[in-house]
Amino acid sequence: MSETILREYGDATRRGVSPDFTAKICSECGFDRYTTAVSALGDVYVAWNACGVSAVRSAGDEAAFEAWYGERFGRRVVPAVEDDPTSAAARAKLRGEQVEVPCDLRECSPFEQRVLEKAAEISRGHARPYGWVARELGAPDAARAVGNALGRNPVPLLIPCHRVVRTDYSVGGYVFGSAAKRRLLGREGMDLTAIENAARRGFRYVGADGDGTFCLPTCGDIATRLGAPGYVGLHSVEEAHAHGLVPCDLCRPIAA
Amino acid sequence: MLAGALAHDLDRSFEHLVIAYRVPIVSFVGRMLHDHARAEDVAQDVFVRAYRALKSYPAERRRALRLRSWLYAIAHNLTRNAVRDAPPPSDPLEFEDGEPRAALSDAAPGPEDSVLRAEAWDHVGAAVARLSPAVRPAFVMRYVDELSYDEIAASLEQPVGTVKASAHRGLMAVRAYLEKSDE
Repeated sequence: MSETILREYGDATRRGVSPDFTAKICSECGFDRYTTAVSALGDVYVAWNACGVSAVRSAGDEAAFEAWYGERFGRRVVPAVEDDPTSAAARAKLRGEQVEVPCDLRECSPFEQRVLEKAAEISRGHARPYGWVARELGAPDAARAVGNALGRNPVPLLIPCHRVVRTDYSVGGYVFGSAAKRRLLGREGMDLTAIENAARRGFRYVGADGDGTFCLPTCGDIATRLGAPGYVGLHSVEEAHAHGLVPCDLCRPIAA
Repeated sequence: MLAGALAHDLDRSFEHLVIAYRVPIVSFVGRMLHDHARAEDVAQDVFVRAYRALKSYPAERRRALRLRSWLYAIAHNLTRNAVRDAPPPSDPLEFEDGEPRAALSDAAPGPEDSVLRAEAWDHVGAAVARLSPAVRPAFVMRYVDELSYDEIAASLEQPVGTVKASAHRGLMAVRAYLEKSDE
């Protein structure tokens, strides 16, 4: 028997570990890790654990972030040495790629989780009012609670709470500031000026004669078409019905 | 250096410990259990136990740790029960105590060996699986993972002379098994 054979046995039985090996250990030990990632709003800290991404916040002050994290989540967060599939997915999504990112929302209440899951359904280039989210969740009077839940979104940008705006279509609050929210929506193709103009003129909906449907002004780029042939501003549902229009399936402008 | 960092701030340096030792530990556990599917779970447990122990140690004790043999000790303890509880091998390796009959051959393999190579190391695995629980860890630590006898003695909490004898008995038994399977 040669040393070579023993070495080959050693090499053949040397095993790598699964990509989430370290995350599982750290979670079991009671601390999470974070890294810095590039986003549309500049550098952000991304914290994660074995359940998914737990927090996204503006980068810059490590000590302040770690203190905030400990207070909010009751666990320590420390700088990560390596990426794993979860942090790599977050990095890709923050760069603008279309990828699924597991998020850890265990710290949120069941209602907050439902609000965030609903917000996550809103596509890029669209926005919906707080009241719309409340209605979709079967709690039409809970618009304020929806706003509070979105304000507590632990993973902004990954769950696009910036796509939920006030009922008067002003942008409303945002963890990174209202100006950042405007900038983000603009980058995603929303023409906020056109939407605000429509709202100022008292239009709650926009009708499209060609499709025979009517939409919220924040349904894609429909607000920019106001004034073009075939597009009409509407003040009420009754007015839409008078035009023979039915609600858009996508933005569901009225309760079913 | 790593022990010093662990003494200074355990949470902030613990990932470095995992990265440095995860491959040797999961591989060692896999060889001990002869079951690489279970090895990862057990190896995770090794690091979690290491973390909890470190957390309970004063900084001075952390700083003084010889991390590799200490982690192997935890891995050995976690795998020992599993190995002991496993049904005994149907054909346990017998080996004779006595003088080493020959030193390990350093001869480079000839070209005719390369075809048989995959089978050869596979036979080593089969032989290791048949080693008695008293011999297997010392043999693997010494001849596969190449730990020093001091480290092995620390890991197994046995005198150096004992682990030397165990490792050697393992080597003789594996060699005898391979010679038999060559026939």
